[in-house]
Amino acid sequence: MNAVLDSLAFDLFPLVWSGIVTGCLYALGALGLVMIFKCSRVVNFSHGNVAGFAAFLVYGFTSGLLLAVSWGVAVLLAAVFIVAIAFLTYALISPLIQTSDLTATIATLGVGLIVQGATLLLFGADIVSLDLPVPRFATSVLGLRITGYDLTVLSVAVVTIGALFLVIDFTKLGIAFRAISSNAFAAEVCGLNLARVQVFAWSVAAGLGVIGALLIVPTTFLSATTVAAFMLQAFAAAVIGGFASLPGSLIGGILIGILMNLFTFYVSPEYASTFLLVVILAALNVFPNGILAPVRGSRV
Amino acid sequence: MSDALASPAAALPVPPGRVLARGATVLLVMGLAALPFAVQGSWIYALGITFANAVAVLSVSVLVRYGGEVSIGHGFFAAVGAYTVAIMEQRLGVSLLVSLPVGVALGVVSGIAFAWPSRNISGIYLAVSTMALALALPELINNAASFTGGYQGLYVAEPLVPGLSMSLQRYYVPLAALVLVALALGQFRRSRQGMAMLLVRTHPAAADAFGTPRVWARVAVMGISCGVAALAGCVLAFASSTVSPSGFTLWTSIFFLVGSVVSVYGLSLPRALVGGAFLTLVPQLLSASGAWIPVMYGVALLAVILAGHFLPRLSARIRRQGGTA
Repeated sequence: MNAVLDSLAFDLFPLVWSGIVTGCLYALGALGLVMIFKCSRVVNFSHGNVAGFAAFLVYGFTSGLLLAVSWGVAVLLAAVFIVAIAFLTYALISPLIQTSDLTATIATLGVGLIVQGATLLLFGADIVSLDLPVPRFATSVLGLRITGYDLTVLSVAVVTIGALFLVIDFTKLGIAFRAISSNAFAAEVCGLNLARVQVFAWSVAAGLGVIGALLIVPTTFLSATTVAAFMLQAFAAAVIGGFASLPGSLIGGILIGILMNLFTFYVSPEYASTFLLVVILAALNVFPNGILAPVRGSRV
Repeated sequence: MSDALASPAAALPVPPGRVLARGATVLLVMGLAALPFAVQGSWIYALGITFANAVAVLSVSVLVRYGGEVSIGHGFFAAVGAYTVAIMEQRLGVSLLVSLPVGVALGVVSGIAFAWPSRNISGIYLAVSTMALALALPELINNAASFTGGYQGLYVAEPLVPGLSMSLQRYYVPLAALVLVALALGQFRRSRQGMAMLLVRTHPAAADAFGTPRVWARVAVMGISCGVAALAGCVLAFASSTVSPSGFTLWTSIFFLVGSVVSVYGLSLPRALVGGAFLTLVPQLLSASGAWIPVMYGVALLAVILAGHFLPRLSARIRRQGGTA
């Protein structure tokens, strides 16, 4: 019994803590996916590839491969590039959205392939390491090891997500975004500019992806596929949230972070993707409309 | 008179364009059948893989056409077929003759098993869950190394017809599979079941009223499509003589979808050949610069989708202007 309690204190709490930290990053990815889906009914399969490209751009700009500038400038430059890519993607896909959202979704795969190829062409298939300029310290609180990286991730995630929710709840643009996501046609009839709001959503989503990618890379390494693989967790988080709820995907992200940590520690690290597949299927069956959706009878 | 009563399909007159297309297809197949006597060995090998990929492209197109769904995970079902062939050869020493039906049956079963929990899931959700399936596949293969050979994979060397040249078999078996699948799909389009599935896709409520529930149609379409994908995997393993996890990644599944888009979701043999050739011959031509392959595929995917979107509108506009002038 004591051993169980000990293992809880030594394993479980640190696992949950680091799960929450990575979960915030999954939530950042998922929020981007959900923002795009809410306003344009498209699942952006290029999200991971574009975010990975952003991380590589930052690497290229700081390492002297493309440029040799300071970290902050590199991030700004990369963000400009990524928002431009998001804008281009939107411009390509927006005519398709009206006719078939499934076709538009396939088209995002095409964009993802192009970006993936561009990453390989520019930076090769090698593994590189990209670090964050974060304060290096570690303290112990109640037996929990908290590092500077953890606090950086948490504070960046809280500030970003808080700002996003403030914008969506209180600004005119946010209200337009909500109007369009609840009924695009009615919003357009009322005189809202659909394209403007969609461009806003796509750019913000790309920015969230960049932040998520930059923060996740120090925990692993950077290769042409790591960030794209990280996005599977973001997809799972979005599915748990019902793909149309921003708070739901935030909860989904943190849930996925904790569950993944527990699964890889207690069961097996080798079946992580399989576990995610099971989680996605289970979530779709248990709460098809998302974890925060009110329970109600279905229409027959 | 008795003909008209016997089958509604036979009573419909076949349009002359269809007859021409059918004749051209027959000529194409005859040409392909004669090809090994005219060209070199490496091309024969590449064409065999082209045919196998064409079958895989057909499996994705079936799902798009009859189910209105997109799968980014058909590499999984192809892997079911391919590994069935390889494992049965290694463990039991049997040839494709025995393992192919088993592989197809397993493909259908796994397709239905996957479709069942996602029977009420449509559109984007199916795309996301199949993507997770495709990402889970390599780790499943690698972790069952005692069966699947892990990273190294397995060889497929047992001939279907003993005595005949193996390189010829690796060409004709996929070709036969492609022809058979294309014929079967043509037959299916005219069958009652095919019509019922198309009705479910276009008018779910009407189909429900006629006694075809939506869930049944969705599971059945997935079963057929995954069976075809497993068949493609079987002949792909036979044609390429080896199976390994690197051949069944998420990219494999995405490429099947790219091939299906490039063939404009066509279910006929020439269309499937276009998709299969795109998947096999483009990488061969670009083998010197591997990173261009995803770029090419992405550009082709976008080009076909955008052309499919804008060309009808453009031609309609031109026609309208011609009418008023």
